[in-house]
Amino acid sequence: MPKYKLTYFNFRGRGEVIRLLFAAAKIEYEDVRIEMENWPNEKESGKFPFCQMPILEVDGITIAQSYAIARFLANEFGLAGETNLERAKVDMIADTLEDLVKVIYRVYLENDKNRKEELLKEAVTTKVPSTLAALEKVFIQNDEGFGYLVGDKMTWADLVFLAHTEYYCSEPFKQYGLLNPHAKLRALRERLLGEPRLRRWLNIRPTTDV
Amino acid sequence: MVKYTLTYFEGRGRAEVSRLIFAAAGVKYEDVRIGFDKWPALKTSGRCPFGTLPLLEVDGKAIGQSFAVARFLANETGLAGKTNYEKAQVDMIAYAFKDLGDEMVKFAFESDEAKKAELTKKFLTEIAPKTLSAVEKLLEANNGGKGFFVGKEVTWADLAFLASTDDLVQFKDAKLLAAHPKLEALRQRVSALPKIKKWLETRPETPF
Repeated sequence: MPKYKLTYFNFRGRGEVIRLLFAAAKIEYEDVRIEMENWPNEKESGKFPFCQMPILEVDGITIAQSYAIARFLANEFGLAGETNLERAKVDMIADTLEDLVKVIYRVYLENDKNRKEELLKEAVTTKVPSTLAALEKVFIQNDEGFGYLVGDKMTWADLVFLAHTEYYCSEPFKQYGLLNPHAKLRALRERLLGEPRLRRWLNIRPTTDV
Repeated sequence: MVKYTLTYFEGRGRAEVSRLIFAAAGVKYEDVRIGFDKWPALKTSGRCPFGTLPLLEVDGKAIGQSFAVARFLANETGLAGKTNYEKAQVDMIAYAFKDLGDEMVKFAFESDEAKKAELTKKFLTEIAPKTLSAVEKLLEANNGGKGFFVGKEVTWADLAFLASTDDLVQFKDAKLLAAHPKLEALRQRVSALPKIKKWLETRPETPF
């Protein structure tokens, strides 16, 4: 059994899909969280290939880039898709949601109140609705959207979706009801929240703002 | 015989890594390039799952997102890395070049001249050098950097790098690769692979 060590900030952010993968696969790992104020020091330690987090250390190997890590674990745990085509669909959805979450993070990171409001309005009227609408369409093409996003079992695309819905469903995005027009996506979120292994993690994990 | 159709704009951009994979693997495909004026109609046609290019169509299925396409083709043609560890290392390196590409897009489309100059400078003096140093270190960790990024054979990480350098060399004054001789040597090595060489010599010349 390999020993896994994840190092990231004490946020959900780009680490959460990795933590959800470990939870879904019921695999133990060391969940190291670096506080923001300690990061400048840690960064210089030389163990971060791109001076960024998250990194995964396993069997003496270090992997950086959150989706390289997620895909690696998904492949190890059988949560990546069953065929190359399914894996490509998973990748497509994950990368699309990644593009979308960058827009969301920009809202969170903006300090100027007026600019923040502007970015928020822009996000909720353009990029978020159009992406979610396209996602629901893609989902419905998969067995009418009664199961998981790709194939007929959970993949890490579902976990990316779940992690991101936590932003849509909390402030400042909550009031815009971004999932309201998308019954299948709402049902998928509920289904994932009800999966015992994910539920267990969501109940015990540290509570963080982002 | 599987039929592949790759659709993108009239340029290298986010499709070139996939074209390089097709070339390296010696796999035939339809290399569809559309003018910007044709894009609105295609975007609303429903053919692109998330309304973006590049688009790969294979056996009636559609895949979007440049790296989903590239990785799929790499997996189909044995250019993805041999083990899950290797695949992860390939991914990590490829993503570094994707991030560089995203940074370039930031100033490429910036209309404010002053902001554009600022972003370009930051890219050339901070962002690109930092990334190139990091990937050169990873290259060196693999057999002293005398071969390819991962394992013993070329993978799409090397091709993502090659595609990225097409853009980086356009900044002639910055001489970004000059400070990284191992990367420059890798670029030469990959460019010289017969099937890649043929593609580089025969592909359309485009500004982006």
